[in-house]
Amino acid sequence: MKNLRLKAARAAMDLSQQQLADAVGVSRQTINAIEKGDYNPTIKLCVAICRTLGKTLDELFWE
Amino acid sequence: MGAEERMGIAVGLTVGLAVGLLFVALLFRKKVLDCTFDERQERARGVAFKYGFFTLMGSIFLYGASELAVGRWCDALTGGCLCLAAGILVFAVICILKDAYLSLLERPRRIMTLFVLLSLVNLGLGALMAAHGKLVEDGVLTFRAVNLVMGIMTLVILIVYIVNFLLRSRETEEE
Repeated sequence: MKNLRLKAARAAMDLSQQQLADAVGVSRQTINAIEKGDYNPTIKLCVAICRTLGKTLDELFWE
Repeated sequence: MGAEERMGIAVGLTVGLAVGLLFVALLFRKKVLDCTFDERQERARGVAFKYGFFTLMGSIFLYGASELAVGRWCDALTGGCLCLAAGILVFAVICILKDAYLSLLERPRRIMTLFVLLSLVNLGLGALMAAHGKLVEDGVLTFRAVNLVMGIMTLVILIVYIVNFLLRSRETEEE
């Protein structure tokens, strides 16, 4: 299932996939896979993404 | 082949291996090669490693079975390298398709340049041996075919990487 909330939060901060990837220490393809719902990230990566985007886990990852 | 020539080949292979290892160590030191992967890449590489390992086991079995069936058709070293090449090829292709071949710090252009050089050197040496008629002796594929095998392997990896890169760039543009 696509994670449109992550994509929207990233776009709201005017960040590209590459910039978000660099900020959390993963590859651009990993961010792309999370947004497309092809990869289920660990809680550690979820927290890192939430911190970077200023959101909570609930807002971005809870269904 | 005399005992002296065999000893010379063994020494040459050992020295070549040592030089190769030193070269790889130098590439790691210069940060051309690196092993920093993210969690998705680690997972994908684990899956690729599993398939590469089973391919290696399968090809070793096939190599042994083929020798039983048709008799000696290649040197043990060449046979071993063929099996290794099959395993590495499967591992590399799966990693490339899952975007997990290059680490976070490796630069695609540098790595591909390295692969072009490796392919050219190995295929060139292979062609040289073929031109001198040293690849096959008495119907047996000699150890001199190892360069050709490795050259073909690196060339296939390079082609898969480039095709995948071009297809992915098009997808990225569409997103």
